[in-house]
Amino acid sequence: MADKQNPETGGQATVTLTIDGLTVTVPRGYTVLEAARSIGINIPTFCWHPKLKPVGACRICYVEIEKFPKLQVSCATVAMDGMVVHTNTDQVKNGRRAVLEFILLNHPLDCPTCDKGGECDLQNLTFAHGLDDSRFAFQKYRFVDDDMTTTFDDKRIGPEIILNRNRCILCYKCVRANKEAFGEYDLGAYERGNITEINAAPGRQVANPFSGNLVEICPVGALTNTDWRYKIRVWLTKTTPSICNFSSSGTNILFYKEDHKNKIYRVTSRRNDDIDDGWLADITRYSYQVITSDERLIKPLIKKEGKQVPATWEEALEVIKKRLNEIKDKKGGVCIGGLASPSLDNASLYSFAKFLRRTFNSNKLDYRQDYRMLPKDTANNYSILASQPFKIAGIDDSDVIVTFATDLLREHQNEYLRVRKAFNFKKARIFVANPYAVKTADVAELEMVYKVGTDEIFINAVCLAALEENLVACPDRADLKKKIKPSSLKDAAEQCGVAPETIKIMARALAEGKKVTFIAGELLTRCRDREIIASALCNLNRLFGLNRKGQIAVLARYANSMGAVKLGISPEPVPALKKELEKIWSGLPDTEAYNTDTMLVHMKKEEINGFIIMGANPVMLYPDREFVKESLEKLDFLVVCDLYETETTALADVVLPLAGWAEYAGDYINLEGCRQHAEQALKPRFEAYPGYEILEMIADKFEKKLFSSTEERESEIDRLLKVDTTLPWPDGFVEVKTAEIEIEKDYPLALFLCDDPHHCGHLTEKANSLVNFCGEAYIEMAEEQARAYNLNEGDSVRLESPIGKIIVPLKISEHLDNQVVLVPRNFTSHPVTSLLMRKRRIDWVRISKVAE
Amino acid sequence: MFYSPVITNAAEAVKNEKLHLFRFVEDSEQVKIGTYEAHGGYQAWKKALTSMQPAQIVEEVKKSGLRGRGGAGFPTGMKWSFIPKDSPKPRYLICNADESEPGTCKDRVLMERDPHAVIEGMAIAAYAIGCHRMFIYIRGEFNHSIIRLETAVKEAYAHKHLGKNIYGTGYDLDMVVHSGGGAYICGEETALLNSLEGERGMSRIRPPFPAIEGLYACPTIVNNVETLASVPHIINRGADWYRTLGTEKSSGTKIFSLSGHVKRPGNYEVELGFNLKKLIYDPAYGGGILGDKKIKGVIPGGSSTPFLKADMLDVNLDYESLAQAGSMLGSGAVIVFHEDTCIVWVILKLIHFYRHESCGKCTPCREGTGWLEQIIGRIEAGGGKPGDIELIEDVCGNILGRTICPLGDAAVMPIQSAIKHWRDEWQFHIDNKKCMVKTNFEFR
Repeated sequence: MADKQNPETGGQATVTLTIDGLTVTVPRGYTVLEAARSIGINIPTFCWHPKLKPVGACRICYVEIEKFPKLQVSCATVAMDGMVVHTNTDQVKNGRRAVLEFILLNHPLDCPTCDKGGECDLQNLTFAHGLDDSRFAFQKYRFVDDDMTTTFDDKRIGPEIILNRNRCILCYKCVRANKEAFGEYDLGAYERGNITEINAAPGRQVANPFSGNLVEICPVGALTNTDWRYKIRVWLTKTTPSICNFSSSGTNILFYKEDHKNKIYRVTSRRNDDIDDGWLADITRYSYQVITSDERLIKPLIKKEGKQVPATWEEALEVIKKRLNEIKDKKGGVCIGGLASPSLDNASLYSFAKFLRRTFNSNKLDYRQDYRMLPKDTANNYSILASQPFKIAGIDDSDVIVTFATDLLREHQNEYLRVRKAFNFKKARIFVANPYAVKTADVAELEMVYKVGTDEIFINAVCLAALEENLVACPDRADLKKKIKPSSLKDAAEQCGVAPETIKIMARALAEGKKVTFIAGELLTRCRDREIIASALCNLNRLFGLNRKGQIAVLARYANSMGAVKLGISPEPVPALKKELEKIWSGLPDTEAYNTDTMLVHMKKEEINGFIIMGANPVMLYPDREFVKESLEKLDFLVVCDLYETETTALADVVLPLAGWAEYAGDYINLEGCRQHAEQALKPRFEAYPGYEILEMIADKFEKKLFSSTEERESEIDRLLKVDTTLPWPDGFVEVKTAEIEIEKDYPLALFLCDDPHHCGHLTEKANSLVNFCGEAYIEMAEEQARAYNLNEGDSVRLESPIGKIIVPLKISEHLDNQVVLVPRNFTSHPVTSLLMRKRRIDWVRISKVAE
Repeated sequence: MFYSPVITNAAEAVKNEKLHLFRFVEDSEQVKIGTYEAHGGYQAWKKALTSMQPAQIVEEVKKSGLRGRGGAGFPTGMKWSFIPKDSPKPRYLICNADESEPGTCKDRVLMERDPHAVIEGMAIAAYAIGCHRMFIYIRGEFNHSIIRLETAVKEAYAHKHLGKNIYGTGYDLDMVVHSGGGAYICGEETALLNSLEGERGMSRIRPPFPAIEGLYACPTIVNNVETLASVPHIINRGADWYRTLGTEKSSGTKIFSLSGHVKRPGNYEVELGFNLKKLIYDPAYGGGILGDKKIKGVIPGGSSTPFLKADMLDVNLDYESLAQAGSMLGSGAVIVFHEDTCIVWVILKLIHFYRHESCGKCTPCREGTGWLEQIIGRIEAGGGKPGDIELIEDVCGNILGRTICPLGDAAVMPIQSAIKHWRDEWQFHIDNKKCMVKTNFEFR
């Protein structure tokens, strides 16, 4: 919390004080409360939260400090040298008892029916202070609404949140967290005095992507979520520590489960200050329902006479053995390939690669199912950029933060909160550059919306601004101008549509910043010309020395994307990794390596005949759905393992039920390269098996065991993870090519594919709570644009590209402001990938109103 | 031109050199800038800006002994000197015109009848602290004051007393008139800052004090209207002259808003140290009690201050004397109650107000005021129970000094003093389920 050495206060970095007779030394800036807790003295709190600014509202944390005439609230009193604090005197006890009495005046005694019972701060403190009698002899105040939607005095204020204002003790934690940490204003306090109430803002729902946290931090049962309500008492559940499977930062969570029913009831945070700060995005909180849904695949399916029919595992494995052997014998093992999901755990991913490479001698495997035409090897600037070290907590203490080509709120919620925190608590300067306006710009000093398709020119312009303003001392800076076009700031700025003055301000901040965090994101990864943009970023890094005074990174998107890289699931792993694999396996296949795109092309040419897909859904996620479908249909034999029947399993010859991440123990590597362990919370439901077990069973059929034991597998993974996969930066400045951008006549709008903030990939539409937040796709556009097409919120819009069309409802955006439309890709009912062409940089579309 | 029909002692002020605040308040032309200038207006601002250093002004005000007229009585010059000298952030001056204390209506008269004096005082204070953008936060219900100030600010801009490069000195100063949303709590300076920023009006925890981190987390000074209106006179006539007014420790003049059971309720500017009894009984001021009844008690400084009993009225109206008498000068609202007033009823009205105005932030004030209203309401309605007085005292004790801002203290201090002075009357109410005094007097 506190600065270790605050130059403003001068002097020592620590203070020493006495609390209850114990001497304690804490960093300057610590509050009395933090100092007391650091030596194990517990002071009760309601309104204090470690990640929010203190407000001193509840007054339960009174302490007596010598020389202060009155009781002081320890949460808001900064510890000073020589303070003598007492936390347990009669005066303190009386003060706390008085506050408890006040709080309980109008608090209903409905603990037996309150879901917070058993984990309620107020209940615990009331027991601790022995307040068993009340001097209050009046009717308790009861809030009642005209539009009651549920029983008692409950009010639904959001898709998943129910508010009971009678129980509220007005600690304001929810309102403060919403504002300070999430930057949302859909919850507020209304009225005054003892009828003050927390409520949703008039006419709005509390539906922001972090709304679940409000329930978690509520000290009483005023806010409850619908998934947990009335289902079970907390003391009947057990907790299992785990990792979120839908965020690349690997948010730490706790599953609350009940063993006999083999069921998860809720998820709460398991605060890890290095990763998540204790905040969970809703997608993390509710995505456990993907596992508990009853739509899961129950048994293996085998295609017989064109129809998939249920079968036993033994039958399915036999078919796989027979058919793959046929292909292997007829055409060779290299005609067999595979695609694994980057959300699988290390063991499954590693087994997958080992199975394909060792059993079939095939290098045709990939883990990237939704990014068009990613490079198959690592000899490129994009891979260099993506391999750079990054620390999430490093965002906190950066003084300059740039987010480039990413909408953090949609795809990297955890980092989104960190950027906000750096602004709110450390006054960091934030710069946001994106081809469309994003919500991160709330906290930005400057938001730069550059023209669609000019990402690299914008970066070049920043470099040019630094050169022309003489801001940097990089020795070979003169070389740069030869490598980029155009070579003057004026021209570059004009091309990307951002004012030169604005670019100069950002360049100056990058040059002056003491610690800079530069985050590039999914728009870069998904872009066909990512190599060109990455080259521009390499130059930017060299010019400003960003990696030396901070960090520059392309954020990985999925829970174990980094694991896939570090375990060599890509077609051509990093050279160092290849060497290690060669040692472990005593030899590597030297056959041709294909990435996802090439594999699909060769399937269409019938040069790949057998294929294994594990947890992935390329039909839904890879650009040009028709192409993917046609390719997969050409296969002789397709095996798909997934939790659900999907567009891809529909094409399979054999479908195997896959266990979800909560059903087995596994390790995941988050975007900063940190390996985290998730424990098994449930027994696999129905007949599902974890990926590594499925692969082991298949390998058994080929009489080529993958591992002799689990220990062997783990030790091989350990060895691989020790390999440093960071790639060296290029020597000198690199040439930034000019991209050729196709213009499509009659298709004036640029379509950007995105994830809805409440969804990720293809599984989350199975989670009911997440569907309650957002249940169908939409087309998001600026209000002005909608008006130009005579469209209103909710109207059906026909969205056409040269190769396809879909009809989606309209959502008017508060942020977007130029010729861009967004459509989330997470919904089966709206196949937006059918609009995309495989080789395009920009997806041009047109829209029209669907007649009633 | 419309005036709020409030009696003032302006006629006396015209004759008496010492009474400077009210000299022109009965002049209907005073609101116009031409008249104000003709009466010597904006001379102090010109003098300060063209011939004095900011530090000199702060020193002069310090020397004058001017203390905050909003209630707390903090030395004004000292407050100004708390602004950090080396902060690179902008500084702000805010004039607190959210006059909502029951009984107080002095700022309103100044704003409605002499708005330029307020602007001039603000400008000098702004220059003294290095502020280039000042605000006046006016209580939302004061419609006339808001219109007056807005008009006056426009005139001041037109006459180049505000704006860019004032008097050719290169000093820029802008002024914003802001209307509050109608909450008593916004008169508390940190709640006022929140409200001005667009947040819910709730007090902030201190430290940091506004002088270090106030409006938009920048150094900010918040001063009362009357305080600022006194500043031009100090600049014009000097601190030494100001010190000759009032008592040694409470220098200057003060406007007292006299209300309640007096024959001539109104606003009276007097030197500090003026005798309370004289204020109530002198025909030039209060003129005695309605119906020539006896006095029961007086609240000397606005509804937040403890009562004075009838036998304690021979007291001088200055900060020290009133503190010695067990009360406070507060905002200078003297509320007089005659012998037929039911004290329980008075307290019920007061606690109702504080319950309604508690912002809802900190527990003791939010819950305690509601509970107190219920208990006192029960006693007043004839349903009091034995032990209620002790319960009230205990609840008051649990609120006093335990809240973020002074609203909690303000709510309980009059209750505590009322029980102390008239305990027998409370007891009678509980025991006999009726009032000891004959009639209730409805305030109009």
